[in-house]
Amino acid sequence: MKFDLVIAGVGGQGNILASQVVAKCAMDAGYNVVNTETKGAAQRGGSVLSHVRIADGEIFSPLVPAGQADVLLGFEPLEALRYIGLLSKKGTFIINTAPVPTILANLKVDEYPSTEQIVAVIREKGLAGHFLNATRAAKELGNVLLTNVVMLGAFTAVSNILPPDVVLKKLLTMVDEKFHADDSRAFAVGRGLIGKEG
Amino acid sequence: MCKEFMLGNEAIARGAAEAGVRVVAGYPGTPATEIVDLCGGYPGVYAEWSANEKHAFEVATASSLTNQRSMAVMKHNGTNAAADFLMHVNFTGIRAGMVLVTADDPGGLSSQCEEDTRILVHNYAHLPMFDPSSVQEAYEMTKAAFELSEKTEVVFALRPVMRVNHAGGLVEHGELGAESRPAEFVIDRKRFVMSAVVEKESGGELRPKMRHRWLNAKQAELRAVMEASPFNSVEKAPGETGFIGCGIGYAFLKEAERIHGAKLPILKLSTLPLPEGKVLDFVRGLKRVVVFEEVEPVVENIIKQLCFEHKIVLEVLGRSGYLPKEGELSANLVLTAVEAALAGKPYPAPPQGQYVPARTRTQCSGCSHRGLLVALKEVVRGNGGVVTGDIGCHDAGTFEPMNLQATIYCMGSSIPMAYGIKKAGFDKPVYALIGDSTFFHNGLTGLASAIYNGADITVVIAYNSTTAMTGFQPHPGSANNLNQPVAPIEPGAVAAAMGAKVFRCNPYNVEETARVIAEATAETGVKVVVAEALCYLKFGREGRISYTPRQVAVDVAVCNGCGLCVRTFGCPAITLSDGKAVIEPSACNGCGVCVSVCKRGAIK
Repeated sequence: MKFDLVIAGVGGQGNILASQVVAKCAMDAGYNVVNTETKGAAQRGGSVLSHVRIADGEIFSPLVPAGQADVLLGFEPLEALRYIGLLSKKGTFIINTAPVPTILANLKVDEYPSTEQIVAVIREKGLAGHFLNATRAAKELGNVLLTNVVMLGAFTAVSNILPPDVVLKKLLTMVDEKFHADDSRAFAVGRGLIGKEG
Repeated sequence: MCKEFMLGNEAIARGAAEAGVRVVAGYPGTPATEIVDLCGGYPGVYAEWSANEKHAFEVATASSLTNQRSMAVMKHNGTNAAADFLMHVNFTGIRAGMVLVTADDPGGLSSQCEEDTRILVHNYAHLPMFDPSSVQEAYEMTKAAFELSEKTEVVFALRPVMRVNHAGGLVEHGELGAESRPAEFVIDRKRFVMSAVVEKESGGELRPKMRHRWLNAKQAELRAVMEASPFNSVEKAPGETGFIGCGIGYAFLKEAERIHGAKLPILKLSTLPLPEGKVLDFVRGLKRVVVFEEVEPVVENIIKQLCFEHKIVLEVLGRSGYLPKEGELSANLVLTAVEAALAGKPYPAPPQGQYVPARTRTQCSGCSHRGLLVALKEVVRGNGGVVTGDIGCHDAGTFEPMNLQATIYCMGSSIPMAYGIKKAGFDKPVYALIGDSTFFHNGLTGLASAIYNGADITVVIAYNSTTAMTGFQPHPGSANNLNQPVAPIEPGAVAAAMGAKVFRCNPYNVEETARVIAEATAETGVKVVVAEALCYLKFGREGRISYTPRQVAVDVAVCNGCGLCVRTFGCPAITLSDGKAVIEPSACNGCGVCVSVCKRGAIK
């Protein structure tokens, strides 16, 4: 058994917490786990990519090789586009469609592609997956910071590698108790979004 | 034995603690940074942040000479700063086991350059090195390095790359509980006084030459150690093309082998000096080998030399031209190279990728540096001056939209660069922008040099009381050291004592900051402006911030969408939408600096 997950996002979106939840659950289930993050000055708005590799045997490279990821979670559409090449032809993506504009796009030095353009490029590659607006869902729940939990919930709806209740329980052990009710709701909303949107 | 999930840096700290390290010194530098803090968490270990890497190396060496195991921790650039000492300790050798952790950053993912410290530490200083391929190996090699260092009386270097420092994996480790030993300093001037004096017993030879001979003679012993090392191994398989994986290159090679689907002849090389016997055994009978190493062709060139000396005809491919000469390896790169080499073909040029808009670095929303940069820019744009930059969060001021600093090299370069421009005859004002941690690292000597040489420059010190860029480590200007309270050394007081004219301002107040910089500019000589405000991101967590938080919003009736706030200020919380500025409340930290940036008064 081998399962590779990559989570692409922007610094501050809770990407690393989400990857740690998955890694810890996999470890508890007795799997071998290797993870790493690629981040360029992430606290200052950079791109952040987490790799989580799970296997029942030896794992060598901490980086998921291109075309090998079983699931790509895109917390931000441009970052999902940047790393879509990591996803296996047989893999599944879940992409949050709410953009976080880049500074250069704000300055009109770069053009930030429209969501339609990003969706079209990814669809063209013949990859399977789901586009959903996790940020909007989190805002509706009252806190945009719940985006990562919505995405984590959605992840458990497309992959059966880890039981959803185990993932949620692990998440709750890693956050302050005062967030437990919100996180549980966001997780359930995320699961519900699969199939509803995109 | 116990199995635990650890980061590479945690594994290195654990290995050192189990080996009985007593003194650990370093300067923050990603990817190595966490090791010092983590070591400080083990009982009986003294850990410190030194003002720079040379001093960390010196403190660690002195501890080794005092019979205590020690470790110096730095990144590749830091090893350059420590190079002067490195080129002496190799001649003297050490006493108790001593490890130099010199972390490389292939690809320069969080650095100003990518370089290969194996060239400095092994090829140049002739010290032995371990190149771990995994988190587990980083732990094991750290422990082994202490033992071997003590046995051979030579500093052993551990050279993890970023993919090992910052990878997490399960580590099987042992117990703590190394016995403490007496702190004895035995005076041995013949070894530890490196001077050009004549040695009677070696026929009147000068000491440096004698110690050089000692170092060269050591190499045979070190080669024997590496020949027996379990970190080098052969995996047999049929074929005329062999593959050599060094450090993380081995991990990528094994991954490529899995994807390729057939067993390959593989030699894992994780040490310098190389185990020559193992290398010769492996290559005999092969037509070609491909060496995968980060980043320079160090092992590749040694193997070529070895084959030449043993009259072995072998094609040795690698970083000298077959593989890309720059950047990180990856499993995909290695797989491509393996398949090309098996087919006897050149490494194919990678397909041109499609450009995806980049995310450039900037200051956090709420950061005091943004106010400072805006104020400095205002002054400089007015007088046609030049700003030389330095290392730290403020260096993002070189990018869009600030476009402020004109040069950025290495730690402390800003001040000598600034006065060099003036000495060359440039007649407009020149400013050096430097952070507080960097000021203590290598800015002090530059400032002394500037004052001594009668420079006419303005030095701006961004004093936020932490080394924010690497994750908030303290420095001599902070009020703590590894969580112990200490009295901070105030950069302005130091500059004044050196003879500079010192000015102070609050960078959250753009108007005041611009005025103070302009006042300093009007003076002659070396002027120092200390822009002091706590790092919002670090101290905000402790409830200590240097501004009164306020709710800011755009008055859409007043905003004409001129975009000044986006074009010159670049706060990540402000965007333009439908011709008006918009402040995203979830991203705004309420510093209010943008209020003074909007000339129409639309931000309130």
